[in-house]
Amino acid sequence: MSAKLKKSLLFWLLLSPLVVLILFPFAVMFITAIKPANEVLSPTWWPREEAWRNFIDMWAATNFGNALWNSVYVAVLSTVLALLVSIPAAYAMSRFRFAGQGAFRQFLLVSQMLSPIVLVIGLFRLVVWLGLLDNVNSIVFVYGAFNVAFTVWMLQSYFSTIPKDLEEAAWIEGASPARALAMVFLPLALPAMTVTAIFSFINAWNEFVIALTMLRRQESYTLPIQIFSLVAGRYTVEWHHVMAATFVATIPVAIVFAWLQRYLVRGLAIGAVK
Amino acid sequence: MRSPLTNPYVLILPGFLLAAFIILWPLFQLGTISVNDVNRFGQLRGFNGFDNYMAVFRDPDFLGALWRTFIWTGGIVVGALVISVPVAMILNEDFYGRSLARVIIMLPWAVSLTMTAIVWRWALNGESGMLNSGLRNLGLIDQNIQWLARASTAFPVQIMIGILVTIPFTVTIFLGGLSSISDDLYEAAKLEGASRWQTFREITLPLMRPFLNIAIVLNMINVFNSFPIIWATTQGGPANSTDILVTYLYQLGFSLGKLGEASALSIMMFGLLLAFTVVYVSLAMRRERA
Repeated sequence: MSAKLKKSLLFWLLLSPLVVLILFPFAVMFITAIKPANEVLSPTWWPREEAWRNFIDMWAATNFGNALWNSVYVAVLSTVLALLVSIPAAYAMSRFRFAGQGAFRQFLLVSQMLSPIVLVIGLFRLVVWLGLLDNVNSIVFVYGAFNVAFTVWMLQSYFSTIPKDLEEAAWIEGASPARALAMVFLPLALPAMTVTAIFSFINAWNEFVIALTMLRRQESYTLPIQIFSLVAGRYTVEWHHVMAATFVATIPVAIVFAWLQRYLVRGLAIGAVK
Repeated sequence: MRSPLTNPYVLILPGFLLAAFIILWPLFQLGTISVNDVNRFGQLRGFNGFDNYMAVFRDPDFLGALWRTFIWTGGIVVGALVISVPVAMILNEDFYGRSLARVIIMLPWAVSLTMTAIVWRWALNGESGMLNSGLRNLGLIDQNIQWLARASTAFPVQIMIGILVTIPFTVTIFLGGLSSISDDLYEAAKLEGASRWQTFREITLPLMRPFLNIAIVLNMINVFNSFPIIWATTQGGPANSTDILVTYLYQLGFSLGKLGEASALSIMMFGLLLAFTVVYVSLAMRRERA
C-alpha cells in the first residue's frame, strides 16, 4: 500500500464522525421526502416504495410556487440594490485616499457586526412608518442595506487587485473617466461582481428573522417562513411534504455555494482577515 | 480630471445613505423607546429614565437567558475551534478525495439555518425521528429519547447543531491561515529533527494565532446573534428553558408586547456587540502592524 493511500485512509477515518453528522440531516431530509404518507411516521431508513409524487403534491400542499416566487423576487432585487450602491463605494475605497475613509470603513464594520435581530423592533417601526408592513418590498430594502457592508468589503478586496495603471493609461489616451471605467475597469471587475452578487443572493435567500417579523400573510411569505409555518404551532405536520419542500428549496443553492465556496475563501482571505 | 466618478464622496454617498437609513434610524428609535414609558402598540407615554432597563434586570427569565447565552456562545465557539483546527490541518494535506471532503465539510454553510433546524427538529422527533431509530439500531440506547421536550437534552443538542454549522466558516479562515505558512519552515524543522508535535506547537500554532483570534471574535459575534436554530427547534421552550438573549428579546417584543423592555435589551446587546467589534478591530490592526 502506497504511503499516500495509507494517509488518505487515515484522514477519512478521522473525518468520518464529522462527515456522518453533517450528512445525517441531508439523509433524513431526502429519505423522508420520498416516503409515502403512510410510512412517514415509521422511522425506517428506506421506504418500501419511493413516493416521487411527493415532490409534485408538495408544490400545491405547501403553497411552494408562491413562496418560491417571493424568495426569488426578494433575493434578486435586494442583490441588485446592494450592488448598485456598493460598486461605486467599493471603487472609491479601492482607488482614492480621502478624509473620512477610515470612518466609513468603521461604519461598515459596525453595520456588518450588527445582526438584524438586535435592531428588529426599530426596523419593525421603520417599516410600519413607511407603510410597507406585509409588503415584500420592505425586506428588499432591509436586506439590501444589511448587505452593503459585506458587498463593499468583498468588492473592494477584489478591486484592489486590479492595477490602477490600466485606467490611467486609458485617461492618457484621451478617454473620459466614465469611458475608462466602462471599457477597462468593469470588464475586469465582472467576475468579482458576479461572485459577490451570488453570495448576496444566498444571504437574502436564507434570511429568517426579518421575513418572520415583516411578513404577516401567507401570500407574502418567502420560502424559509413558508416552510417554518408548516411546522410551527401545528398538531399534525405533513413531514414528507415539508422535507420535499426543504429539499427543493435548499439543494440548488447548496450546489451553487459548494461550487463557489473557494472564491469566498479567497475574498475573505484578501479582505476580511487583512 | 473632474468628474463625479473621481469624487469619492459622491461614490460612497448612496451606499452610506441606504445603510445609515436602515441602521441608524431604527437604532435611534430603540434608544428613544428604551427611556420612555410605552404601551404595547408602541405609543410613547412620557420619559421614564432607566425604568425599562431596571425592569429587564428584575426579570428572572432575563437572567436565565443571559446565563444560557454565555453557555451557548462559549460552547459553540470553543467546540467549533477544537474541531476545526485538526479538520483544517487535514484538509490542508494532500490526500485522495480531498476536494470531496472539502465540499462535505462546507455543506452546512450553504443551507439556511432555518431549514437545517427544521430538518433536525424532525430527525429528533421522539417517536418517529430517525436519530432515535439510528441510535437504537446501533444499540446505543434502548428507549426513545424525547430530545426536544426537556432543556437538559434540547439545549446540548442545539449547541451541537450550532457547532456543526459554525465549523465551515472556521475551517475556511484556518485554511487561509495554513496556506500562508511557508513550506520552508516545515522543511527546516524536519532537518532539525523536530517531532510532529513540536512542529505543531512551535511553528503552526504561533503563526496561526492571528487567524485563531479573528475566528474566535467573529464566531462570538455570529453565534451571539444566532436566532433560527433555537427558534425553529423549540422557540425557546419548554417554559423558556432554552431561551438565549435573542430569542428572549423576540418574545419580549413580539409575543409579550413589552416594547420598552425589549428596546432597552436591544440597546444593551448593541453595546455588547460594539465591544466585540472594538476587540476585533484592535486584533486586526495589531496584525496589520506586525
